[in-house]
Amino acid sequence: MALLAASRHTTSIAHAQKLFRFTQQGRSAPSSHVTPKAPPLPARQPPLQENPPADRKTSLSRGPERGRESLWAIEPVCGPHDCRWCISFVQTITSNLFPSFTWILSVVSHCSYRRMGRVLNAKGESLFFCISCSVSDLNPEVNYYWHHGKEVVVHGHRKGRVDPVRFQIDDSPHLQIRVPKQLPEVGITHKLNVSIPAFVPVIDHKPSKLPLFKKQYENKVFIGAKVADPCCYGHTQFHLLPDKLKRERFIRERLEDQIEVVYRSNGIASLFAWTAAQAMYQGFWNEADVTRPFVSQAVVTDGKYFAFFCYQLNTLALTAETIKNNPRKNICWGTDSKPLYDVVEDGNVKGFNDEVLLQLVHFLLNRPKEL
Amino acid sequence: RTGRPEAERPQPQDTRAVATSSRPGTVSEVPPRPRGEEEPLPPAQPHELPGSLGHIGNGLGWEGALSITSVSRDRSRWVVFPGVRQAQWLTKTKLVEGLPPAVQGIMDNPALGLQELEERAKHMVSHARLWDTAEAAPRRERYCPVLFENLIHICRLMSGKYPSLSKRMLARNCRVAATWERESILLQVRGLSGILMNSMSPIPPVASKEEILATKEHVLETFYPIAPTIDLQEVNVYKELNDTGFRDGYPYSHPHTLFFLESANVLTDRFRPEQLRAKMLMFAFGNALAKAKALHGNDPKVLEQPVVVQSIGTDGQLFQFMVFQLNTTDLVSNDGVKNLVWIDSDQNLYERAQCVPEVKKGVVTKPAGISGFQPDTFKKFLALYLHGTV
Repeated sequence: MALLAASRHTTSIAHAQKLFRFTQQGRSAPSSHVTPKAPPLPARQPPLQENPPADRKTSLSRGPERGRESLWAIEPVCGPHDCRWCISFVQTITSNLFPSFTWILSVVSHCSYRRMGRVLNAKGESLFFCISCSVSDLNPEVNYYWHHGKEVVVHGHRKGRVDPVRFQIDDSPHLQIRVPKQLPEVGITHKLNVSIPAFVPVIDHKPSKLPLFKKQYENKVFIGAKVADPCCYGHTQFHLLPDKLKRERFIRERLEDQIEVVYRSNGIASLFAWTAAQAMYQGFWNEADVTRPFVSQAVVTDGKYFAFFCYQLNTLALTAETIKNNPRKNICWGTDSKPLYDVVEDGNVKGFNDEVLLQLVHFLLNRPKEL
Repeated sequence: RTGRPEAERPQPQDTRAVATSSRPGTVSEVPPRPRGEEEPLPPAQPHELPGSLGHIGNGLGWEGALSITSVSRDRSRWVVFPGVRQAQWLTKTKLVEGLPPAVQGIMDNPALGLQELEERAKHMVSHARLWDTAEAAPRRERYCPVLFENLIHICRLMSGKYPSLSKRMLARNCRVAATWERESILLQVRGLSGILMNSMSPIPPVASKEEILATKEHVLETFYPIAPTIDLQEVNVYKELNDTGFRDGYPYSHPHTLFFLESANVLTDRFRPEQLRAKMLMFAFGNALAKAKALHGNDPKVLEQPVVVQSIGTDGQLFQFMVFQLNTTDLVSNDGVKNLVWIDSDQNLYERAQCVPEVKKGVVTKPAGISGFQPDTFKKFLALYLHGTV
């Protein structure tokens, strides 16, 4: 496993973001080898559970059931209405103003759909109560540094010694919301110490065997704010995919199966970095594993297609020594990318998809137990 | 091209003011205000006086596409930022110090629960100034917008109590264009007018009818022998444009508040408080005028329903608050009903934000954290946000 890094003088967020984005492509694109490729996922990378158990009856991949009343119950959706707020809402998307949290709040408070209004009225107090304690960051930095696996030093005066392989993520979500209390863990069946019979892919060769950038990062762990901030747990991140990874490009190059890979890899990597950094802020590390799960959510979008992810960090022990007797796995649930609307013509939105909006609203309504 | 310091200007021959307000034998009752008294010189920069050009030499005044231009067909001169007094003349406005009573009433209303929000406001200031970066201290380019977003976040929490607050929308980088004539000089305001908060319903007029009629007696200050259009850029335009920046049918059609963030890291790239106030006034006027012309047509007249636009400007620590009421679009002559502006200037939100404690000879002289937090400034910010719906 090779070292992923960036040169010291280019640790700017934009550069790191570009690199980070590039490393999410699942397969080598037919362009030149200069384009960096995605590293194979580390052996312990959590599996993506996309299809929840079959007893769910809803149209969306609903989140796993919680111990208490499920906030993710999606009621049957009413037909599209021609609301003025809806037009302005979608026009703001199409004019490349990605919905900031504040905009989402204004959207949510504008909800005039009857069903959605009922959901909100029931949970509305929870929305405002949770949001009143939250902090939102615009274009924050999220960094995490960890060791995973071993390699033998090939050249130099340390030749022959065994070193851990070091990884660094430098992420920059478009928007993130942090809260002062942890989100509840996801589901009874997915508690901390329950082993999950899921398959985590094992990759033997080094990522440096793929043509990949190999530079030295500054090793940082950062959740978006310093340790002194009382809002030290993550709630939701919003990621905006760059133009380079747009769907039309993949379709043109006949890589349709790689479209979802972009969303999923972004969701998994960003959320792993965020939850692991939150755990580190609380004092856990690979020798002192987490005693409670860290849960966060993410929405990855390119402006029209939305994919939703929820991540539960169960373990930080990923180094070669600590992973031997560690049955725990981290879990990420996610949906496929779904369009919010089909097209906007003449000031009208055609084919508005209420399910996506409902899912977004439910994400924001999710709140810690104590709040 | 250089700004002449005010001290070099001769005393104004403001005979008109004396003539209208003096009675025979009582000229001394209305002495012309000496120039020096009404302009407190900024102590740190004695060579730069309010109303002067500031950094015209560096070519920075129009960095953000903020050109207030005086349109003329003949000559061309360069523009910079006028002080508030010059802006008053250009917009035919009377200045009132302090915030209007309606906004003061919102601040003093105990039912709003502003006390509880103080703690949140302090937390938000700490977040913006201390905790937001992986480096030692965030730079102004980072903390100024973050502080603004955080304060707006707290303001939006009030929409739980007042649901009509949700009928607002923030718009960034929107362009405004307004043209008017002032004593045979054609003026225009064009450009990116900061961050604009729109609302579905307009702000009700702040000044009563009597106050509006009383402005007829107010005399606009002139700057003889200096032309009031000094330092305005002259351009040739071929279309006298009045545009609010939004198309028809936009649900949030009434401009509510403009926010100006002076977030440049370098001091010389930022506007001084006086210049910032002038910029706020000009753009509030521009937005109000464009809206009034959109509502009532291009004919100059006294407005039945005055248009109110607010303005808040900050550099991350110092806040300037402004409420502007457009009473008339008849701006050609110097007489008649004038527009009104209330300005509350130079309000500090906090004294100092110390990321790392300052230690001298083993003793902590300045502890880390936010010191000197002024809740009143935040209350004014919130009151201006709530104005119009509460």
